[in-house]
Amino acid sequence: MIAAIFGKRRAAQQTSQDADYYTAGQFALIKARFMKKTVGLIAGSVLMGLVLLGLFAPFFSPVDPTINGADSDYRRGAPQPVLFWDDNGFSWRPFTYTYAKEQPKIDFGALLQSGNLDALDQLTSSGALDASTQNKFTVDKEARRYLQFFVKDWEYTILKIDTFGIDWRWDRHLFGVATGKIHILGTDEDGKDVFSRTLHALWITISIAIVALIVKLFMSLLVGGVSGYFGGKVDTILMAITEAVRVIPPIPIYLACAVALAQIDLTPVQRYFAIAVVIGALDFAALGRRLRTHILVERNQDYVLAAQLAGASHMRVIWRHLVPSFGSYIIVDTLINFPYVILAETSLSFLGLGLTEPVNSLGVLLQKAQDPDIQQNMIWQFFPVAVFVLLIMAFVFVGDALRDAADPYSERNK
Amino acid sequence: MTQFLAQTWLLWILLIAAGTLTLLGRTSQYFHYVRNRFLMALVGLLTVSLIVFSLMEVLPGDCAEKYIAYKSTQGETITQADIDAERARMGLDQPFAVRWGSWVANLTLNGDLGFSCAKRQPVNLALGDRFWLSFMFCIAGLMLSYLIAVPFGILSAYVLNKPWADRNPQHTTARRLLNTLGLGLAKALDVVLRIISYLGLALPNFLLALSIILLYVFAGESAPTGLFSDAWRNEPWFAEQGFQWGKLNDFLGHIWLPIFVIGWSATALQLQTVRALVVDESNKLYVDAARARGVRGLSLWARYPVRHSISPLFNSVGFDFQRVFNDLPIVAVVIGLTDAAALLIEALAMTNDQELAAGILFLVALVVISMNFITDIVLAAVDPRVRKSVLGH
Amino acid sequence: MTASVTNRNKLLDINNLTIDFRTDEGLVRAVDDVSLSVREGEVMGLVGESGSGKSATAKAIMRLHPGNTIFQKPSQINFYHNDQAHSILTLRERKLNLVRGGQVSMIFQEPMASFAPAITLGEQMIETMQIHRRIDRATARKEGIALFDRVGIPMPDKRFDQYVFELSGGMRQRAMIAMALSTQPKLLIADEPTTALDVTIQAQVLELMLELREQMGMAMIFITHDLGVIGKVADNVTVMQRGRVVEAGAMEQVIYHPQHEYTQRLLNSLPHLSTLSDVKTDTLEPFLTVSHAQIQYPAAGAKRNGEAFTAVKDISLTLPKGKIIGLVGESGSGKTSLGKAMLGAVPLSHGEIIFHGEHPLKLQAKGKIPRREIAARGQMVFQDPYSSLNPRMTVRDIIAEPLEAMGLTKSKAETDARVIEIAKLCKLNIDHLRRFPHAFSGGQRQRISIARALVCNPQFLVADESVAALDVSIQAEILNLLKSLRDELNLTILFISHDLSVIANLCDWVCVMKQGELIEEGSVRKIFLDPQAPYTQRLIGAIPLLDQKKLDAACEPLNTLSTATPAQPQGCLQSRYRVING
Repeated sequence: MIAAIFGKRRAAQQTSQDADYYTAGQFALIKARFMKKTVGLIAGSVLMGLVLLGLFAPFFSPVDPTINGADSDYRRGAPQPVLFWDDNGFSWRPFTYTYAKEQPKIDFGALLQSGNLDALDQLTSSGALDASTQNKFTVDKEARRYLQFFVKDWEYTILKIDTFGIDWRWDRHLFGVATGKIHILGTDEDGKDVFSRTLHALWITISIAIVALIVKLFMSLLVGGVSGYFGGKVDTILMAITEAVRVIPPIPIYLACAVALAQIDLTPVQRYFAIAVVIGALDFAALGRRLRTHILVERNQDYVLAAQLAGASHMRVIWRHLVPSFGSYIIVDTLINFPYVILAETSLSFLGLGLTEPVNSLGVLLQKAQDPDIQQNMIWQFFPVAVFVLLIMAFVFVGDALRDAADPYSERNK
Repeated sequence: MTQFLAQTWLLWILLIAAGTLTLLGRTSQYFHYVRNRFLMALVGLLTVSLIVFSLMEVLPGDCAEKYIAYKSTQGETITQADIDAERARMGLDQPFAVRWGSWVANLTLNGDLGFSCAKRQPVNLALGDRFWLSFMFCIAGLMLSYLIAVPFGILSAYVLNKPWADRNPQHTTARRLLNTLGLGLAKALDVVLRIISYLGLALPNFLLALSIILLYVFAGESAPTGLFSDAWRNEPWFAEQGFQWGKLNDFLGHIWLPIFVIGWSATALQLQTVRALVVDESNKLYVDAARARGVRGLSLWARYPVRHSISPLFNSVGFDFQRVFNDLPIVAVVIGLTDAAALLIEALAMTNDQELAAGILFLVALVVISMNFITDIVLAAVDPRVRKSVLGH
Repeated sequence: MTASVTNRNKLLDINNLTIDFRTDEGLVRAVDDVSLSVREGEVMGLVGESGSGKSATAKAIMRLHPGNTIFQKPSQINFYHNDQAHSILTLRERKLNLVRGGQVSMIFQEPMASFAPAITLGEQMIETMQIHRRIDRATARKEGIALFDRVGIPMPDKRFDQYVFELSGGMRQRAMIAMALSTQPKLLIADEPTTALDVTIQAQVLELMLELREQMGMAMIFITHDLGVIGKVADNVTVMQRGRVVEAGAMEQVIYHPQHEYTQRLLNSLPHLSTLSDVKTDTLEPFLTVSHAQIQYPAAGAKRNGEAFTAVKDISLTLPKGKIIGLVGESGSGKTSLGKAMLGAVPLSHGEIIFHGEHPLKLQAKGKIPRREIAARGQMVFQDPYSSLNPRMTVRDIIAEPLEAMGLTKSKAETDARVIEIAKLCKLNIDHLRRFPHAFSGGQRQRISIARALVCNPQFLVADESVAALDVSIQAEILNLLKSLRDELNLTILFISHDLSVIANLCDWVCVMKQGELIEEGSVRKIFLDPQAPYTQRLIGAIPLLDQKKLDAACEPLNTLSTATPAQPQGCLQSRYRVING
């Protein structure tokens, strides 16, 4: 019975496929072409996964990434692996061990007693004060801590819009443990959970890129649109400026702006937006130029002339013909530019001029990778680097596939 | 007289160049184009100087404050009146346009980039050879990227439309196997290269530099950061026993790192550009026509698609330089270089040295604009397609 | 001629050639079981429309196919050289030079695109010669210049060192021919060598090719869609449709006694005298008058000493009401500018244009263009069926655009009703109105374009090369549609075209333009049969035509056939057409 229904549906789908294609609009066509690209699809799902992880970071994080959630008993702690079995047998429920801080055994008594420098020398050379050994943890393999799901922990905001009085809060998390905290990727020197920090940083970085790209789009549209539509002297002047901006390397300019921002007293949120706006606003040259060319080309297409001859007003020509003609183009270009904007943000933060601690952004977390102490003793803090590379790669591959899919006349040229 | 000439030498060079080009342009359409392009470059530089100069306005503090602050460390007591007097003395109370005008005027007269207050010496002196060092880094990085990107970009374009296996029913089985092997190898190489080039895009320079340093850390050796190791840093190039080869050796052992790091990401982008350009050209009818005339193999590729994609590639050298220099400051910080890029970071982020930063940025823009100018006029002379589009014949 | 050819040795033998292209949607068959052979010195005409597989067949002879091509198993192409058969499809790449450029040369449709733009013509020619012959540079150069001279290129030693874009269209194709002949081939494949050229130049190039073939005695495969050209050059003809051979045989047999319905349709698209309409000058009512019109375009920015380019110089003419007026001229004659000026799309720099009627409308130089008023009176149908329809709008929205833009309808229902009405009139399937333009073929797109032009009931239509991008058989459908629209709606249509066959089949009245000036105007009958101006005479004389006596005979059975399909234009009874070959 069910098979029969599905069989029928499949047959119906077959016949309607052609009709679907013919009545498919611009975006549906791009989607259809994109769906044929395996690499793009894989990268797309990775990207979606990362964005979702970032968007619902509090839910996926087992530990509060702020200083409130810092685990003072587990500073500089190594990752706590999640296991299904060990020497003591197999368990359906994943578990982790109990970690306890090893107290440095400094024999103050002996130190006081002898009163000479030999004991002090002994203490220093024993390594008890060494960075690498001062936080040794003992693993208690007998004390399994089982993972629990949908646990209740710190409360977080899902959505908050003051104007509508919306303030949705929740306190459930995907997983956690009953006693203590679980640090599946270890902790940093303050005892903050690396995994949770990375998840939160993901969304901050992506959202900064979104804001920057919106600003960039606005600027590009303004410059490219005005230049392309009005032409003449306005065009010449705007293009001369654009050309000059294109010549100057952007990162030093961002730096200068960031330094200028640093002297203004800003809250972290304002600072965050200011950085995004700076990155976006100064990056109009390339897209602006291309939009201008696009408008110039599109303006001379026969269908625009046809609309003008049909008595359409300027506004109608712009809104019904010109704007839709670069709509898909803009979206594709924006997606392709995501990695570069993210790189700009991370570069700034890396130099300590973008976002700074305690804000979680990938750039802030990457900055730590510079520290020789971390390089030598806390290699797990390189996890954000891996996530970062994965994110950029996913964006690059999706952008590539999308660029191929969006070429509106690719079918005609075959 | 000599003093006057010494103070205005650059202006005379510029005027003579423009005059000569105008004269030549009366009879030759090419030189007319060169003159126009020369004037355009100058206008471009003027615009850049305006942008750079106004950008520096946003940096906190000014020369007077810095100078006075320096004095105060010498134990003098300072009042606001002192600062204002100092401002008036330095001309900082003048409106923006006047200050910009005098900066530009000094620059055009004798190439003077101004006075760095933070360093308390002229910008030209503070920069010294460091700009050339950065310049050489960028050029070397670019060279490296071209060396890798051009041959492999061409290979990538060559295998793009080829299938993984030879499935031509007209071929014998043995030939199909052999061809499949060859195609498979070429395709696999292409895939590997593309993954590497994507990695180059995804891995920012500073991460790459860090990773390399990290590898040294794991191997238990000291990473080749900076320009020299401690032993050679203070040795002169020429000692009593003649040229110190050891110092050169040490130098080469260090500079490969920044060159490699900035070269890689440039390579990634370059590889894609070369590939796209060659693919574009190889799809054109004249390639088929040449094939139909019996041109084949290497000479077909070298003389037709490759030769025709060189010009656009060459044309982008200026912006490639800009892109490479853009990455250099952060790499310089990570590796601990002391070139102009590091100086730029220092000037911007630490000492708020507007004059120095403006000077460096302007010099970079000068290099890019000059490169664009040179590539444009060379192409107009060499490539008939460009000549047609700019000269109209 | 035919008899002598059959005795000669075989040169090329294609057996069961089957070509598939591998695409995303699976295998697509381009050529299906094609067999043909060419003997030494024979000219084989290969006729077909776009997508008929004729170019794929020609490329297969040179093995120039792209990477996604599969030659299915029984396919075989043999080339005979020194009494030895060489199987081209299995030949090693290294030995392919025997055919590529050595024994076989190829001429492409676009001479501009088939020369490398950054290498001089001479350099490319010397290269070719040195690949195939033991010859030093100096000799090759001397020989190349001689060849340039022989194909009629003036100042050959100067042209030899120039680049392809420095030559005019006709000269480029001559250079291409010289290049093809430089290796003294046994077989010349010419893929639509004259299609991209203007009519008069087309005739010269064709003449040259025939002459050279006589002198050098090589065989030729001549690919074209134009039966008139085939009738002039070919010994044997192969007609292809959708990858298959539908008819083959001696030229006389195929052209004058066509058996297949498709060949007959192609033949019917040729100009026929009996359909040349004859209008009486005194019954004409003026619809639109152009007086002393001049159109100038400002100089392009990059050029030095750029002077304004004058596209139309002082033209005065009157378009008769309810007729189809052909505006003929070669590329650059200013015909499109004039057509666009009539709709206010291009401003006049001098003179005026007057629409007659109850409410006369005047367009003046430097006056404001009353866009809405013109839009209500006249609309345009464009050349390119792709760029003239917004790919992001549905067909319904495209057709409704003039109504909505001018606010002619009050409600959506009224608009829809009008769109459906006009779509039916233009023979569009109204179920397809929700579709986007990419779902339609070139001919259907042109119908959409016509429907859009007619939806607001204009009295005037400017059709700018509207069938130039279409295949011959589809052209005929659009031309018939235009004729029926003229009759039903009493439309005045200005039909701009360089194709005299189309003009002859369609128009009532003809204006001839050359370099921005009006050369001659008159009824189509008068222009075609009794042209006065020397330029018009040259133009008419340049149309490649079939032997008229034989065509008369051939048309007898054809007429009985064509009555079965009333949509087709009538046959060619009693044609008194100028005989070119006889």
